[in-house]
Amino acid sequence: MQESKQQPEQRETPQLRGLYSKVKISVRTLNIIIVVLVVLLIACMAYGISKGGFRVSFDTQGGTPVEMQSGIMYGEKIEPPEEPTREGFAFDGWYLDPDGTVAFDAASDPVTESMTLYAGWREK
Amino acid sequence: MAENKLKAKEQAFKELSSKDKTKKITDLLLNNAMYIIIVLAVIYISIKVPAFLKLPSIVNVISLTAAKLPIALGIGGCIVLTGTDISAGRVVGLTACISASLLTTTFKVFPDMTSAPPIIVVLLLIIVAGGLVGLVNGFSVAKFKLHPFIVTLSTQLIVYGIILMYLMRGTNNGQTLSGLTDGYRNLVTGTLFSIPTATGSVAVPRYVLYSIILVVLMWVIWNKTTFGKNMFAVGSNEEAANVSGVNVSKTIIMVFVLAGMMYAITGFLDGARIASANANTGLNYECDAIAACVIGGVSFVGGIGRISGIVVGVLLLQIIFTGLNFLAVDANMLYIIKGLIILIACAIDMRKYLVKK
Repeated sequence: MQESKQQPEQRETPQLRGLYSKVKISVRTLNIIIVVLVVLLIACMAYGISKGGFRVSFDTQGGTPVEMQSGIMYGEKIEPPEEPTREGFAFDGWYLDPDGTVAFDAASDPVTESMTLYAGWREK
Repeated sequence: MAENKLKAKEQAFKELSSKDKTKKITDLLLNNAMYIIIVLAVIYISIKVPAFLKLPSIVNVISLTAAKLPIALGIGGCIVLTGTDISAGRVVGLTACISASLLTTTFKVFPDMTSAPPIIVVLLLIIVAGGLVGLVNGFSVAKFKLHPFIVTLSTQLIVYGIILMYLMRGTNNGQTLSGLTDGYRNLVTGTLFSIPTATGSVAVPRYVLYSIILVVLMWVIWNKTTFGKNMFAVGSNEEAANVSGVNVSKTIIMVFVLAGMMYAITGFLDGARIASANANTGLNYECDAIAACVIGGVSFVGGIGRISGIVVGVLLLQIIFTGLNFLAVDANMLYIIKGLIILIACAIDMRKYLVKK
């Protein structure tokens, strides 16, 4: 603080170049900002981790709705969802894409991200 | 040598007064705050989820780093010029869509085509396309002295419009492009080499090699060519560079064109890596790339930055986000964390520069 009183002029001259050329800030303020942001970042991470868990929702594409599952950790498997029904169609399993090209086996495939599973249907 | 240096530093540190010592330690802690957080996070994550430090996960982190490196290498040059480039992600999207529409077996965008053109032709075509966007960016920045933010914002939107119109061509009707040829997929995602483990083996994809080649190429361009030296000169002081005979306009244009080519290569790799391309391919890639550059010490002050820093930046960002994914952190929260990381990186960047002064 004392130093800043002794050389007020030097402090006010913009010292930064480039994209920061309009920024006027002292090292002291920056220290506080960095510490506050770091605390905030850690808090966000801690919150995110405490609320952790992926959501797996089910799009039955016209069939009876299936309840979403949440709180699944990395590498865990989902509880086998109840099979939806749809008039005139037979349920063909769950797929990662709406077109039903990449199959997802709820009993053996681990979850690695939040996702939506699509029901596959075969005409009866 | 290194030991001697360390000892000399230790000696110098011991001679400091206690007040200076605290200052030195605070400097060290604050300037490296980002690295400290990431190291602590990695330790925490590997205790919680031991699989994080297993080979498959490490290979996964390295592969994803390699996939995101080219775009960061391109954007790094723009940041050295005290600029930025927010059109990068969309250029990646455009070039991924062009690659996926030509190197396919279904030809929805070009219904008249029956066989895919040679891969090298497509690669050259998209590099030219990426370079053209870069040329528009660079030309506007260099000749009209427009701020890169404005120029690249407009090219970002224009390129997005082009992607959407391109995807509406033929019988595609805006759908995701897939059904890529085996040759294209194999060239990018084929196995470079396999590392045997207890439970099978982990394959390292070929694009890791391509990224390494690009890193070496960019290192040579940045450090060993006149163009590279001019780029740093223009970045640190445009007028001084001009006075000392550097062709400022040409340098700026070349940096943006080179960046555009790098985005094109990212798009080429991404199309095959994800095995499909749509209007959202490449979305927000520039944010990650800019964040990685700033973390890696490419300063917004201009004229400061190293290729090794960019590599470290991309790697650190990838480690932290893969780790948070292992802890099943919500994807929405990841955006907030990303934003905070950029802010902290900028604050540290400013601090380093001010303390040095």
